[in-house]
Amino acid sequence: MKLSRFARFSIALLFVWIVLFAFLPQIMVLIASVLSKGATDFILFEPTVQNYARLFDPIYLQIFVDSLVLASVTTLLCLIIAFPFAATLARAPKAWRPLLLILVIIPFWTSSLVRTYALIALLKTKGLINAALLFLGIIDAPLELMYTQVAVFIGMVYTLLPFMILPLYAALEKIDVRLIEAASDLGAGFWSRLMRITIPLSLSGIIAGSMLVFLPALGMFYIPDLLGGAKNLIIGSFIRNQFLTFRDWPFGAAASMLLSLMMLLMVALYAYAQRRERA
Amino acid sequence: MKKIILAALLALGLQAAQKELVVYNWSEYMPESVIEDFEKESGIKVRYSTYDSNEAMYAKIKTAGGESYDIVVPSTYFVNKMSREGLLAKIDKSKLKNYANLDPKLLGKPFDPKNDYSIPYMWGSTGMSYNAKVLGEGAVSAWSDLWNKEFAGKLLLTDDLREVIGMALLSLGYSSNTTDPKQIEAAYNKLKTLMPNVKLFNSESPKGVYISEEVVVGMNFNGENYMANTEMPELRYVYPKEGVLVWVDSLVIPKGAKNIAAAHAFIDYLLRPEVAKTISEEIGYATPNLAAVKLLEPETAANRIIYPTADDLAKSEFQLDVGEAITIYEQYWEKLKTGN
Repeated sequence: MKLSRFARFSIALLFVWIVLFAFLPQIMVLIASVLSKGATDFILFEPTVQNYARLFDPIYLQIFVDSLVLASVTTLLCLIIAFPFAATLARAPKAWRPLLLILVIIPFWTSSLVRTYALIALLKTKGLINAALLFLGIIDAPLELMYTQVAVFIGMVYTLLPFMILPLYAALEKIDVRLIEAASDLGAGFWSRLMRITIPLSLSGIIAGSMLVFLPALGMFYIPDLLGGAKNLIIGSFIRNQFLTFRDWPFGAAASMLLSLMMLLMVALYAYAQRRERA
Repeated sequence: MKKIILAALLALGLQAAQKELVVYNWSEYMPESVIEDFEKESGIKVRYSTYDSNEAMYAKIKTAGGESYDIVVPSTYFVNKMSREGLLAKIDKSKLKNYANLDPKLLGKPFDPKNDYSIPYMWGSTGMSYNAKVLGEGAVSAWSDLWNKEFAGKLLLTDDLREVIGMALLSLGYSSNTTDPKQIEAAYNKLKTLMPNVKLFNSESPKGVYISEEVVVGMNFNGENYMANTEMPELRYVYPKEGVLVWVDSLVIPKGAKNIAAAHAFIDYLLRPEVAKTISEEIGYATPNLAAVKLLEPETAANRIIYPTADDLAKSEFQLDVGEAITIYEQYWEKLKTGN
């Protein structure tokens, strides 16, 4: 196959980019993770596996477990909300779809940190949601939303929802409507059509969306910090603390490697599942 | 050709460097008018950026090197940590005409006995705040009052391990600078029983959380309480009986700073009585500048939130570097936050 100059240039650029900004930093993290911490230096060149051994201390294992639970629940919530959302999008009149998709993407134009602060304005005791509910007489006393687990999930789901909607939409849009019509004609009800046709045919979108939500959810430390009141450590905040607060770079690097490894494992599983699906 | 462009860029960069002063300070810690006036008077352009923890600042200076900043404002125990590690440049006091304005009581502290590396900028305290409208006057007077069961889910703690563990140490009658592992463990055990009362940890802007009434009582910085009072007069600041945590933030010049002359000029400018007065009145922390204290409006000078009385400061403690013991503090802090 002969590639155009542009294609070759693009591939080279991409390659250089990945080597410089993904591969090399990852190697540096790997090296740091097997070195020691100094009293006045961030890193001492004394090889050790102590950093990895420490990760299996019950305190740190608890942090990993908590983060996995947080990420799993977030993924599940996103899936439940995004599925009907994407299905509606995929069945909307063709002329509307680009506009609707743009509306899903528009929030990305604002930094997610800024949007998290905006959520605080909505959720706080004297915030817009409470003010509106009080005004309408639906509640008598303000709801306690901020600095709770509920607020954390609202923030996580809000931020990551588009990552679930877009792949689901792509998968659902491809489903041949005639299949569903045929099933309907043959007497299949709503649930039967959903379970036996729509979900199996959109499985690749469900898996892709779940990966795109689950993986960033593991590292998103600022949402639990800002909306949850920094009461619980998750992997992301734990790694940040090791680098910024406790100045134990090798330990932070080891935790970061473990996280990368977990993510790599999941991506590998995904690739394996896709290959089997095609075969 | 490339070399010429590079040289030209370098020359431009150098020129900019001579007329530019890079200041790295705590957030909400210097009024903009002060910086603008300095720029107008000196013709030096100030590039200003902020941080919200000593640790974040330290990590940047240590990795990026001193040449990225000309002025930094570390707190008490970070001054001796940084000078010990050779990160700070000596300050030439002969270039500071206004040095004599400083309160001798705040000079020569253990973290920098001769003030070779640091010039006090502001000092303040970490004490308690409470909403008098909700809780009534005099609701709390001691750190141990925070453990009151009535405050379940209503408490704010700062997100700073030395302060939170230090507060618990003081409530137990120990020093907040202890290096004794047993005492630190006792403080951790005591804090564990406080967790049901804690709604959140926040050091970035406690005043916002108090103003929005998410919490009604907890730890706070005196300046945050002072600033909150413009919107919420009922927020009271308390100097706890067991002793308040006191800190001084100092102006330092990192080793390798590009613009040492301008840095000295800026420090001297900040030491002018009228400038120090403006800063103290706007941000609500106390100035170590005695000449400025004399200029203060009587109501500011008499404001106990900014200028505590000798009684308020009884048993108060300056935060000091605890050396290697910091790792013990860190372990218990992580344990506290994972609920173990």
